[in-house]
Formats: sequence, structure tokens, C-alpha cells
Amino acid sequence: MTEPINRRRFLKVLGVTGAGTAAVSACGIGPEPTERLIPYLIQPEDQIPGIATYYATTCRECAAGCGVRVRVREGRAVKLEGNPDSPINRGRLCSRGQAAIQGLYNPDRVQHPMVRNATGGGSLEAIDWDGAIQRLSAKVAEARGTGIVFLTGAEASSFGDLVDEWMRQVGGRRLSYEAFGFDALRAGNRMAFGTASLPTYDFANAKYLLSFGADFLDTWLSPVEFQNGFSRAHAFDGGRSASMAKFVYVGPRLSLTGMNADEWIGVRPGSEGALALAMAQVVVSRRLARVPADASRLSAVLSAHTPRAVAEEIGIEQDVIVRLATEFARSGGGLAVSGGIATQYANGAEIVAAVNILNYVVGSVGTLVKFGADLAAGSTNSFADIAALTSDMAAGKVGLLFVHGTNPAHSLPGAFQQALGKVGYKVSFSSFMDDTTAACDMILPDHHPLEQWADSRPRAGVTAFQQPVVQPVFDTKQTGDVVLRLAGRSGTFQDYLQAKHRTGRGAGFDQFWMDTLAKGGTYGDAPTRAVRLSTDLAAAVPPLQQERGSGGEDKQDVVVFPHPVLHDGRGANKPWLQELPDPVSKIAWHSWVEVHPDTAARWGLATGDFLVLTSDFGSQKFPTWITPSVRPDTLAVPTGQGHTAYGRYAQDRSANAFELLDRKANAYGGRTFAVSATATKTGEHRKIVTTEGSPRERGRGTVEVLGVARAKALHAGDHPFHHEETPEYAAEAVAWWAERQHEKAELGDYRGEQPRWGLAIDLSKCTGCSACVTACYAENNIATVGEDLMQRGREMSWLRLERYWLTDEHGEPQGAVNSPMLCQQCGNAPCEPVCPVYAAYHTPDGLNGQVYNRCVGTRYCSNNCPYKVRYFNWYNYAEREGAYEAWPEPLSMLLNPDVTVREKGVMEKCTFCVQRIRGAQNQARLEDRNVRDGDIVTACQQTCPSDAIVFGDLNDRRSLVYQLAGNPRGYHVLAGLNTKPAITYLARVVAQDTPSHG
Amino acid sequence: MVLILALPPVGLSGQQAQSASSATSRYQAPVISDTGDLKGPRQPIFFRHDIHAGQDQIPCMYCHYSASIASEPGIPSLQTCIGCHQLIGGSTPSHQAEIKKVRDAWRERKPPEWIRIHALPGFVRFPHMRHIKRLGTESCVTCHGEVKTMAQVSQVSTLKMGWCVRCHVENKVSRDCSVCHY
Repeated sequence: MTEPINRRRFLKVLGVTGAGTAAVSACGIGPEPTERLIPYLIQPEDQIPGIATYYATTCRECAAGCGVRVRVREGRAVKLEGNPDSPINRGRLCSRGQAAIQGLYNPDRVQHPMVRNATGGGSLEAIDWDGAIQRLSAKVAEARGTGIVFLTGAEASSFGDLVDEWMRQVGGRRLSYEAFGFDALRAGNRMAFGTASLPTYDFANAKYLLSFGADFLDTWLSPVEFQNGFSRAHAFDGGRSASMAKFVYVGPRLSLTGMNADEWIGVRPGSEGALALAMAQVVVSRRLARVPADASRLSAVLSAHTPRAVAEEIGIEQDVIVRLATEFARSGGGLAVSGGIATQYANGAEIVAAVNILNYVVGSVGTLVKFGADLAAGSTNSFADIAALTSDMAAGKVGLLFVHGTNPAHSLPGAFQQALGKVGYKVSFSSFMDDTTAACDMILPDHHPLEQWADSRPRAGVTAFQQPVVQPVFDTKQTGDVVLRLAGRSGTFQDYLQAKHRTGRGAGFDQFWMDTLAKGGTYGDAPTRAVRLSTDLAAAVPPLQQERGSGGEDKQDVVVFPHPVLHDGRGANKPWLQELPDPVSKIAWHSWVEVHPDTAARWGLATGDFLVLTSDFGSQKFPTWITPSVRPDTLAVPTGQGHTAYGRYAQDRSANAFELLDRKANAYGGRTFAVSATATKTGEHRKIVTTEGSPRERGRGTVEVLGVARAKALHAGDHPFHHEETPEYAAEAVAWWAERQHEKAELGDYRGEQPRWGLAIDLSKCTGCSACVTACYAENNIATVGEDLMQRGREMSWLRLERYWLTDEHGEPQGAVNSPMLCQQCGNAPCEPVCPVYAAYHTPDGLNGQVYNRCVGTRYCSNNCPYKVRYFNWYNYAEREGAYEAWPEPLSMLLNPDVTVREKGVMEKCTFCVQRIRGAQNQARLEDRNVRDGDIVTACQQTCPSDAIVFGDLNDRRSLVYQLAGNPRGYHVLAGLNTKPAITYLARVVAQDTPSHG
Repeated sequence: MVLILALPPVGLSGQQAQSASSATSRYQAPVISDTGDLKGPRQPIFFRHDIHAGQDQIPCMYCHYSASIASEPGIPSLQTCIGCHQLIGGSTPSHQAEIKKVRDAWRERKPPEWIRIHALPGFVRFPHMRHIKRLGTESCVTCHGEVKTMAQVSQVSTLKMGWCVRCHVENKVSRDCSVCHY
């Protein structure tokens, strides 16, 4: 039989000729016996090789206090997942939480104690722990009376208590500092209600959401919890009365939170409070809600804020204000939140007070806004306290400074850094050589939170515990232990912690301790405290005329906002977070300045042109990103980058936006994040690192959007989008394909009943937060490629979030649709038939398998993939000391042992976490049963804070994914190509009746 | 072109031939005076599977207990060795010398570094528990050979894909690529 030479046969022949030379060295059987197997001396009870152990602990990447479960394999932490027992995050995690593990195994950790050499040029040199503590004891004794200060991050915990005790003992004081504090919220709550505490917000039960700058999906207070609640209130669930709460975002730019809005009110920066009061005025004067009796006290304040009086100041039409007020009050469950940029103007506290009043007049305070939780995020010292500390330091009034869990030299660049030089002796407990630590005289590296014993009190009623999940990676020591020794007390911090929780528990303590560690904490409801309007409300009136800096015409309003994933910069040393595109701009690895297209046209700017922003306080250079998601008269820059130290991933990268800000506290003791600055073109240009292909989907059916009225009118069995599937011209091809499938089904494994794995993604729930992307990196050993390669489009992100603007009739963006794009596991896959070596092939259970060891790297599959979800290894990212090494020691310790690390020249892609599918199948077989719906949870589904992703068997009629795939809102991306995807997207539903996009 | 394929003979060493006759009677491990002739790499301690598993009939799962529940069979911890060898000191001087190495290692808290014999490439998953579930706890021989009669363990199967697939075809079980490769 002669076979025509086709592509496959050609490669086969080529392979045989080439193999002769290879065979000489490859003789014999098995690999060379040089690998060593080192057994345990004593096997830990809870470690079985090949089986993962999960430990409950707490995420310390922010102050929200989410519970995590750490998957430990053979003594290494390989993945973090949310702890379902925790009432805060209910088993979900954000990107920052997922990436905590890259802090644990970070290659740039401080590996042992260090001390600055007094003689040899002041360089840092290694010292042993005993020596360091002795030396420090002497310093503490010496510094008594000269001012001892212990600066921590948000630390409402036993560790914080211990430090307080020690500071009292040595005559010092403790301050806690977060770069994005909540001073305005406290001040505004005090103004309106006479309490400076932070409440919890019940997003899940709200029926209308109004955010004045509060980025509750990305950085504000407790993002995972709020996102979970938000998706339950805002998603479309077949007409349930509680669903589809309209969400209106008020602010000068669209953040991750803002782009999920149904409507965007781009008010003038600083006028948010006037809008809130005007709305309250409409509610009260038109009796739109059952207004509490004591609201009569407001009459003077409100009468000054009629829509007519303030519309011009705010920059929107009067009737819009009236409409918003009516919608908000009539919904019967309006929740307004204020935060983020709206609370970081000089009048931030007044804005918070105004929003409080709006909540109060519609009766939401006490029902949706519950005081009594006293969130720990609000327990930090005010910015005024920190500014006072900085002055004290500069004046030489601080003899000894300890810094733990915070990096003020980065977020207070000029002032704090200079003041540090005047401090007698500076000790850092950071395990990273961050901007502050680099300037210290002694470094006593703390354990990473995953190596620690600790607790924290994120809110009243909840105590979250931390236990060490792995042996310490380096020669670090828990700071609690160090403090106990310095204080001359016996025992370890673990003893201290146990003693604190032993009180009142008597003999039942041991059982309590074991149970609590297994659950990750003690979880109770916070008491609700009723609040009343404060009697002195005159102070709450926001000044109508917002002060406009000192400059003249040429000055711009610049807002500095927290980066959704790098936050205040603490995430910058983690390659997963650096490589994760910002959910709004899709820019990775560097900062940018957001410029409206009209402004850019006026200034002759193109995306990538550098702008120098110069405020009264500093000057920094950012590349331009032109976007309609910012007001024309406003520029916006993210924080996060521009570190002077902090390891290889963070150092000297882009610019530090904190440089632009005033170092002095404002009237309410907070920090002002809006400045006026001049913007100057430098003539320089860079190619920005972005994964954005196009901001619009141009009617290709990548995302589908329905108005709420139309969505509610859909019945089971309706298929509004299905007309696009299998057009007539494809009928012949489909018939041929069906026949081929029939033939295939007769072969070996393909015979008989098989599952068909599928995914349902609800775009009405997806917020674009990108937690799934980082979870995918963690689960599947995806390499980070770095700035240079990413700029050339060589990122390996198997799962990406595509963001398409939703526009109103004027073409102005009103929000965005976010669509997770990953391998669609097509039933009729374009990638499969073009692979010459059968590396891309169809598995019996319906996956588009990718056999790495077969792949020869022709990249035909990627060329033929209409979804562009295949990724090629251009380099050997696992190569030790290689130019593009993705996992420098000890970062490689977090690699998932269940997933192959791919080599250079190999194509890779999402396979629905096939290792989890096989793992669940193995487990089911061991238990003599079949896999049940819900046994297999993909990494993206597991972490999704809004439950947008559901995995399961499409051939199982009782599975959840089967039901969702038949939802009338369901559609397939590029269905007209007849690819028969296994992923069903559920159309985004928006509050407008006639949405338009692209 | 040079094309030499040196394929070593498989499974026909002297010790294994001996075992054929002793299927019913209790296996007697041979006295070994010259270890130079033994196949397989020399290990830091001359651990004799033929004495432990053959003569003393200790089940494989006693030491490699996780093979039936996990993908990895595991190497027994030194504590497992000491569990018996605290009391058992060996009957001949050569045995005593080897057992002393175990006890020394335990005392010095320094586990021996065994030379790995059976290894699969990084892109292959072999779930031990699935195979033992299906084939039984005595089925280790299928891949590892008659370890019970090996004074020093050596690899008897190629552990290459064709060899795996042959068995999968014979047993009519999945030979889908993504069962092992992911």
C-alpha cells in the first residue's frame, strides 16, 4: 500500500532518519541511575506521598482576613484556596490571596538576620540570631527615653497586643500604618453618626447599589466578601426578585468596580458629596421613602442642596439627579457606599457623611449598613499620626524605630525616607528587602504568614487563626518570639497565643484549639449597634466649591488610585501579580497614566507617549494609556510600581505615583490622593505591555448583552442567540463531521458512554477581577515570561479576561463586559486536524487534549485556533539561571507536582484542569463509585468570588452545568464557525433596555 | 553511520532463576559473598529485598504502604526500619555490619541516600493505587519483577510507553493519552 505523502507521513520519515544518531546515546533501559531518594527519618503523620494535605490558615495580604486552605504536597505548599468555613470569603480568594505563596517562596527574601556594619562602608552583613538579639537588647536599653516607636501594618491581633505590652514596658509606643487607610470613612461616620468605627455592608441583600468611588470589588475593605455579595445581588438569575440590583458608579474614572456598573456618573472630582446630598434632598422633599423622624434635623443641610443648586457644580443634569434619587429610594433596598478616590479628596470625610445621610434617609442604615462589626481595616492610626511621627523622626525625637509589616518608605517616598536618616537606630522585621528595610540598620526577618503562629481579629465576632503550614524556608524567626525574648519573657509566641485563648476555657481548651485550627478560626456574628444621626450636622455639609490646588489653567486634576492587584505596592515582588494584566487597562509590568481621548487629541498624545506629571510635591513620568473610561479633565495614575528596592521583580520598574502626593495630612487627618499637576510631553515613547487586542468586539458575538426587560421575558427553551450556530453554508460540513464522529465512536476508548466535560460562564456574574487567572497560573505551573516577552505578546496566560466597553447612545462607556477566554474544548476543534504528530487530539471525554511530550512545536494548532487560547513556549522557562527563568529557587517549590512543567518548543493550553479530573476519577474508582457532579472543581471555578464559573459533565442531565448550558441566555463564542465549544457563556444582562456594545 | 543498539538481557539473572522452584516451600535467600556480580546499582546500605520480602515474607505494602492509596509508593522512613532493627541485629557478621549502618544512620539522624532505580519521565503520571486496586497487592511483580528474589534490586521492565500500552491493550483499559500525560 502506498500512502500519499501528507504532512504527517513526511514528519514520520524525517523522524526515522534523525533517530539513528540519537539511538547511540539512548541505549540501555531506564534513566541513568543518578537520582537519589532520601527517605524521611520519621514520616510526619499527616503526610502521605502523593496525597495532598490541606491546612486552614489566614491570608495576610490585606486586612480583610480571608480564610485560606493551603494544599501541601510532600512538605511543600503548592496552592492556596479559600476556606469555605470562613464567613468572610466563603471559600473564595482574590488574585492577591492566590499569590501569597509567591511571597513564601520568593527568591528575594531576606534569608537570615543582618546588621549594618559600622565600619566597613555601612554594608549589611549576616549575623546569627542570638548575636542579633543580644545586640538589639543593648540598643533598646540604650534608647529608653529617646523615643522608641514600633510601626506595624493593620495589626488587630495577639501579636499587636504583645507589641503594645512590650512598648509599655520599655516606654515606647506602637503605631499602625496602611498606605490606603480609612481615615475618611471614620471621620465621615463620626460626623454623621458620632461613631468612628467601620460598619459591614450587606451587598447580597441590596436592591440598588450606588458607589461613590468605593472600589469594593478590588481594594476596598473586604473585596472577596463584597464581590460575592455583589454578584448575588447584581447577577441575573431568571427573574428572582432580589436579583439584578442596578449598580450605579459615581467617580471620575472607571475602576474594576466601576466597569461593572450599569451606569457611570462621571462627576467632577470632589463633588460626590453634593450629589449624595442632592439625592437625599429629592428623597426627603418628595417623600420617596419612609424617612426616619429625626431626619428633620437635616432640613437646613438638604435645602442648600437642591438638584438645581448643585447640578452645575457636579457636572451632570438636574433630571439625572432626580431620576437616580427616585430609582434609589423606590428600589426598597438602596445601598450607597463611599470610599476609594471619593474619600481621598480634601473633603473626603464630608463626602462620606453625605453618603451616610443618603443611606439614612432611605432607611438602609441598620439593615444594609450595620455598625458594630468594627472592621480591623479601620484600626490603623490616622495619616495625621503618621505625619506627626515623620516630623518627630525628622526632628531627631525617635531614637529607635521598629518596622513590621509595612513599607512606608515606598508610600511616603520623600518625607519618610529623609526622616529615616535622622532616626538613631532602625530595625526592620521584614522578610523582604523592601524600600524601608533597605534603609534599616538591622534586619530580623519574620516568618512568612504561612510559616507563622498568629491570630487576627478582622471584625467583631471573628478570630482568624494562622498556623505554620510548612517548615520555614529560610533562617527566619517569628517576630513574636523575638519580641518575647527582648521583653525578657519566657516561652514562644505560640505559648503566648495559646495562653491568650486558654482564658476561660479550662479543660476543654485542647479540643477547642484543635477544632479551631482545623476550621481556621472562630466565627460568630458581629453584634449590630444602632446608630442615630449626630446632633451637630452642620459640619457635614461639603463645601460646594471644591478647592482646586494652587495652580492656574495649565494644571490638571490627577487622581492616584490603588492598583487592583499590586495595591499599595506590596504585590510588586510577585511575578504572578506583575504579569497579571490590570483588569481595566490590561497593562502589566508597568504603570501608566489614563488620558481621555479628547484630551489626548488636544495634546497630540498617542498611547505609549510619556507624560511628566509635576505636582507641588514631586514629579514622575508615566506612559499614556488613552481610554474613554476617565473624565476628560482628569488624569489617573495607579500606585504599585516604582520601588527603589524590593527584589528583582519590583525594583526600578516604572514610576512611583506616591511621589506626587502631599506629605501632610488634610483637615480630617487623612491623606489626599488627588492633586493638581502639570502634564508635559517628553517626546519619549514606549510600547505598552498590554494583552488588550481590541477594546470593542465589533459585533463578532464574542460577548452578548441583553437588556433586563428582554432577559426577563425569556422562557425556558428560548434561544435568542442560537440562530448564529451552524449557518446553512456549514450544513454539509456538519454532516461530514457527524459521520466522522460516528466512525470514531467505534474505536477503542471512544466507544460507549463517556462524559463530555463542559463549563458554563455567567457573564452577568463575572466582574473581571482576574482571580481565576492567578489561580490558573498557580494550579497549572504556567510560566511568567517577564516584561520584554510579554510586550511581544508571548505571555502564557491560559485564561485571560477580555474587557469590552458597554456604551450608551452617545458612544460613552457606561461599564464593560468581561469575558473569561480560555480553551473552548471544541467538539469540532480546528486545532486537532492540523497537528502533524497528534499532540493535539480529541480525548474520549471531550477535551482537546494536548500531549506535551508529543508536541514538536509546529504551532499549526495555534494558527488555526479562532479563540487564540494556545500558548507556545518560546524559551525554556524552567531552565536554571536561564535568561527567562520563571521559577528561580526557591520559587520552584510551589510547582504543582501533578502537572508537567513544559519545555521550550512546546505548545500548551487549558485542559479544564485535567489533573483534577483524573484525580477525582482515581479517587472515585478507589471508592468503587462514579464521579459525582461537583467532585471536580477547576482552579478557576474554585477561586471565583462571584461563582461565575461552573464545571461539570454535559452528558449528565442532572448536572448543574447541563442545566446552565440549556439556559436561554446561553450562547457559544464564534458559534458560526461550527466549532461546537464545550463552554457555554450566559449573556450579560444590563439595566438599560437598549444596550449597545462594540 | 554508527548504529549500535545495546539491549541488555532482561530478567534472566542467576538469582531470579533460582526462585522458580521454590514456589511452594519457603524461600531461602542465598548467602552472597561477592556483591560485584549483582545487577543493579550498589546502594548505600546493602538492603536485601530477597531476605525481607522473600525469606521473611514481609508484604510489599508493609513498607511501601502508600502504594495502595496514593499515586506514589513512597520510600519507607528510617523509623520503619528501626521499628524492627532495634531488636533484630542480624545473624551473620555481614548482616550485622549492614544493620549497624541503619542503626548508625538513625542515631546520627542522617537517612541513607538510596539510588533511584525506577523512574518515569516528568510528563508521565503513574497512579500506583489504581493499578493495585485492579490487580491486587501482589501485582508489584508485573512491573518491578520478582523483587522478592533480588538481593540487589535492578530494573527489569523498560517502563517505556510501548510496554505500558501493551498491557493496557491486553487488559482492555484506557489508552487515551491524557490518562497518563498531563
